[in-house]
Amino acid sequence: MSAPDTAAETDGVDVRPISRWGLAWRVLAAVALVGLLLNGSVRMHDDAWPFGPMSQYAFFPGPDDTVVITRVYGVLADGQRVELPLRVDTAGIRRADVEGRIPAIEQDPSLLRAVSEGWSARHPGEPRPVEVSLVQDRQHLHRGRVVATDQVELARWRVTP
Amino acid sequence: MAGDAVSARSPRRGSVVGWFAPVVPEARVAVLRSVLYAFVLLDVHLIIRSPIPLSRHPELYRPLDLAVLLHLPPPSLPLTWTLYVVLVLGCLAGLAGRAPRLVGWVVAAAFTWWVGIAFSYGKVDHDHLALVVALWVLPSVGAVPGGRWSRRASAQGGWALRCVQIGVVSTYFLSAVVKTRNAAWDPTTWPESYILLWAVVRRPHGLGQLLIPHPVVLQVMQWFSMAAEVSSVVVLWLRGWALLHAALFWLGFHVFTAAMLYIHFAPTVVCWLAFAPLERLAPWWRARHPLLVPPVPVPPRAALGRQPAGR
Repeated sequence: MSAPDTAAETDGVDVRPISRWGLAWRVLAAVALVGLLLNGSVRMHDDAWPFGPMSQYAFFPGPDDTVVITRVYGVLADGQRVELPLRVDTAGIRRADVEGRIPAIEQDPSLLRAVSEGWSARHPGEPRPVEVSLVQDRQHLHRGRVVATDQVELARWRVTP
Repeated sequence: MAGDAVSARSPRRGSVVGWFAPVVPEARVAVLRSVLYAFVLLDVHLIIRSPIPLSRHPELYRPLDLAVLLHLPPPSLPLTWTLYVVLVLGCLAGLAGRAPRLVGWVVAAAFTWWVGIAFSYGKVDHDHLALVVALWVLPSVGAVPGGRWSRRASAQGGWALRCVQIGVVSTYFLSAVVKTRNAAWDPTTWPESYILLWAVVRRPHGLGQLLIPHPVVLQVMQWFSMAAEVSSVVVLWLRGWALLHAALFWLGFHVFTAAMLYIHFAPTVVCWLAFAPLERLAPWWRARHPLLVPPVPVPPRAALGRQPAGR
């Protein structure tokens, strides 16, 4: 991993020529790259990817905040409630994607069709859910410690063929 | 570039141009390209694998600015399957060293589109920046005669590697910038928040759960990671042992976050190889694994004469 000094590296090797223009556009392109990336993190939002902000975990929960974990449950014809785990290999969609669409799902619960169809397609031997619901496990913090947990339902959709 | 040879010159060491385009062995580029094409093959199967299933759900699609700007069609099954096939065939051609510019830029465009689709259904991740930059800049070096055995050096190769390094370092440094920006430019807000507690409560699988009862320890770790992210820019000017130690520190950082939170950042980690003297890999391997077949057939009498004494 140690990179030797440039002179040592190039001793006894053939150095490929480069034109003034070849160097100029490369330097300009690298400066533009740095500029776009800086601009992305200072001014833009996530939709500007790949030149958007590096906003992973860039927010600030307080000591009395509520930590939420989003889940989707299905109700089978016999009334049994099963969790439809939100991963690509189990439901065709990631939990983070569902979380990013919570307001839209609350407005239109039929968007949960993506989860129910994704789950059923990956579990052909299992009965299809007749109803699916979007819920959140909530863990309430007080002074930085979990003091209570509960669950709320955000949306419910009767599965239609 | 055919025109590059017209007025031959190498950038001066120590100059700004020499920093952006240092003369480095092209074998580094050849090895890094192979590693990254192999990595992309893994990536489309293990990391970014949602584009095909998600393209069945146009109702959840919200295009990124890039897709709007380029008038890209909305994802569909034929489109995402085509991208998948192009990526697999392109990476195989890239591994074989075929038409490095054409194949390289086809893979770069297809992978950028593929990842962009995955990020258009709710969540944008931030671990693919350096890899996407690498796929766009590395083809510009063109053919490297001799591949990993090449004895040639160039500023063309040095520039491509420098861009990948900038992508790696930006992932950390700009993360600190955003954490500060979101707090109205107060750099203490994020380290003093309960963000790591929030993260380990949400991902109660890794070692992080052991720290849930100790929020102060988590805040010390937040200060530490903020300091590391801010100072990550220095890595671009390090050499030798200092660079090695910085790289090991950041690899350790990723091992730690993976153990604690199950967040791996593998696409960024693999791009750390842009800092490594990869040109030493092929000679090192050959020295330890010499060719078994002698280049000239050994006459039977000569072979007999080499038997150990005492037999």
